[in-house]
Amino acid sequence: MTGLSLSVRELHCRYLDPDTRALSGVSFSAAPGETVVVMGESGAGKSTLLRCINGLIPSLTAADCRGQIVLDAVPILGQPVGLLAGRVAMVFQDFDAQLFSTNVRLEVAFGPEQLGIPGAEIERRVAANLALVDLADCTTRDPSTLSGGQKQRLAVASILAMHPGLLLLDEAATDLDPAGRHDLYETLQRLRSGRLTMVAVEHEIDPIMGVDQLVLMQRGRVAGRGRPVELVHDLALFERCGVRPHDLALLGARLDIELPLEVDAAIERLRPRLPTGLASRQSAEGGRGLALGLGPVPRVILQVDQLGCTYGGAAPVLQNVTVGIGAGEFIALIGRNGCGKTTLAKHLNGLLRPEEGTVRLDGVDLQTLPLERVAPEVGYVFQNPDHQLFASTVAEEVAFGPRNFGLAGAELAQRVTDTLTAVDLLALRDEDPFLLNKGARQQLAVATVLAMAPRVLILDEPTTGLDYPQQRRMLDLLARLHAGGTSIIVITHSPWVVAEYAERALLVGEGSLLFDGPLAALLADDALLAAAAFELPPITRVARALGIEGRDVAAVARALGGGG
Amino acid sequence: MALSLYVEQPSVLHQRHPIAKVLAMLLLFVATFVLDDPLMLAPLAVLVLCGAWVGKAFGILWRLRWIIGPVFVFTVLLWTVFYPVQANEPVTRAHAFRFGLGMATKLETFILTGLVFLATTTVEEFAYALTRLGVPYRASFVLTLAFRLVPVFLDAALTVRDAQRCRGLDFSRGGIVARIARYVPVIVPVFIGGLRRADQMAFALEVRGFSAERKRTTLPRAPVDEYDLLLVGVTLALAVLYLAFWIRGVGAVGSW
Repeated sequence: MTGLSLSVRELHCRYLDPDTRALSGVSFSAAPGETVVVMGESGAGKSTLLRCINGLIPSLTAADCRGQIVLDAVPILGQPVGLLAGRVAMVFQDFDAQLFSTNVRLEVAFGPEQLGIPGAEIERRVAANLALVDLADCTTRDPSTLSGGQKQRLAVASILAMHPGLLLLDEAATDLDPAGRHDLYETLQRLRSGRLTMVAVEHEIDPIMGVDQLVLMQRGRVAGRGRPVELVHDLALFERCGVRPHDLALLGARLDIELPLEVDAAIERLRPRLPTGLASRQSAEGGRGLALGLGPVPRVILQVDQLGCTYGGAAPVLQNVTVGIGAGEFIALIGRNGCGKTTLAKHLNGLLRPEEGTVRLDGVDLQTLPLERVAPEVGYVFQNPDHQLFASTVAEEVAFGPRNFGLAGAELAQRVTDTLTAVDLLALRDEDPFLLNKGARQQLAVATVLAMAPRVLILDEPTTGLDYPQQRRMLDLLARLHAGGTSIIVITHSPWVVAEYAERALLVGEGSLLFDGPLAALLADDALLAAAAFELPPITRVARALGIEGRDVAAVARALGGGG
Repeated sequence: MALSLYVEQPSVLHQRHPIAKVLAMLLLFVATFVLDDPLMLAPLAVLVLCGAWVGKAFGILWRLRWIIGPVFVFTVLLWTVFYPVQANEPVTRAHAFRFGLGMATKLETFILTGLVFLATTTVEEFAYALTRLGVPYRASFVLTLAFRLVPVFLDAALTVRDAQRCRGLDFSRGGIVARIARYVPVIVPVFIGGLRRADQMAFALEVRGFSAERKRTTLPRAPVDEYDLLLVGVTLALAVLYLAFWIRGVGAVGSW
């Protein structure tokens, strides 16, 4: 594979149905073998940009595009996607929607077959690319049985087998657990050293600090462009573009110092700033900070005892799980993809009935209660908001649940208004739910469950696919609900969400509960973190090393004598 | 959740050339279709069951026993009860039962033949065979893609159903019309989700060169061998034999 040069000049794009301006004069270039990362909030034009480059726009989506896209000195804007296939390749966020073969080997062969590559050469490419993404042992596996990380690596191998000169990645790591994300980044690192040109849309700044160029987009325009280390200290730019800033850049600004962006170097730079008492205690404890314990033991609402589940198969999905969920807790349920988190959560509200053991709500066995009795007490928000939205207006959508439970008239109307106010969607009450953006749809999905006034709210990856401002809005909503006394259980793969919001952690692995306790105890246990492939955010690593009781940048800055 | 009926196994049937398997399946369909007598159809059903054993496909048949079993029982019952039997007619209730048994055997032989085929043939092999037999590539690909998407949509429908149950939707209350109306909150999200997924899949297919307008190639395949010829030969002989029975009126209802 040889990387191709890419030049985007004054690219404008306007969708025709509905008439929407998506890109306004976007320009950047990448030399052969360079990696460019594009970041920005939802609707900034990131995906549109990638789709213009590989011809999906305007080939498959009606749009008026002007400007130039030049691939290795050849203008390609407006060329049919089929003509570009093989030179420009793309990996999408939804790994399930881009795999359509019955086994791994055939999946990788699919692209080269379309390009008319001779059979023997296809065979060679299949073997080489599966080895490159560490899937050489899986040739006969059904892709649907692979983990999320493996699926995304298979998608990468499938397009690399077409020998593209330019690889586009549209939020390819978003749906992956930390382990899958780590493996994908490692694979991409190998491709970088192989001199493949790449343009990737990403949300997290920390993993992409080493790339050649960062393009920050805002409302269809390039708001900033340069090496990440050059841009990362422009916090106003990051805020304008709706991108979560680098923890250490933000901490440096709060402390008004120039802080290295490598964690170890930052720790050494900060150590002299530790208050005297804290420094001596930190020295005695060997740098194990984050002493965030749980408060008094809360009254137990849900009690799980010896829970076991096999789904009728031989291997247990869950075994011997015993855990209590107390009133007013904020719990992070974490673990690798497919480890049994969702299975455990679905037992908590009676969607799944225990094959072994019991689940009790206020001491009553859920086996004896119909789901209609449990659902208003223990609400469950599914990962994909589109799995529950169907009504013609936002207000109707929110009214659906309470109405099913007998609420009507003025009481129902008041409940809808109160709920929409709580999730900041009151102004959109007459809008069509399907026309809202992903963040608002996710908030609406929470509202539909919240309207039933549950005491426990379970959310399956509520921030996946949202941009940073949307994530913050969602998490602040959960924090408000928690402050109001609702127990929150969040299934998440996002380390910073866990580190900043959760009080207690449940770590599920290989069907068992590997850890149940205060978050701080988990964050201090390297072995458990490794088992969960849970990579701490930079600010958490700094706080832990310096023995600071802070879970976000503001708290750490305050502890170090800076402004919160 | 496994998304297809195909199970990778080192069986003789799995190793057969896809064209031979498609032809054998079609020939078995012909033989099964032309006669109604359960005694004549039983050997075909037994043959297909032997095929399931050779192709190590009994696991799939067991998985789908809740469809296979009731289809047989209800077909026999319905035909036995509703077959037009009148006084002073040569067709008796015993004939009706035998006819019902024949219909059930026929239906089950169709189903089992299809299941054994799908359990031993990848959708790619199916598409390849259809293309070589003259079906346009895009049509055969779409057909085989449908096999893969049905379980995906079923899975989505179950998730949506669970999501709505969590919001108090009770599918068991009320009369038939009320129950059907209650499926709207399931149907709408599944339909919208299906459209979104189809869109994403179309994008992914295009990026992989689906409309590259080049002459397609395939991974090297083992050539047709003597076992493939034997498979087609045996099923062809059966089809010819059963067609001959049909032409001579053997095995028809009136001949019992």
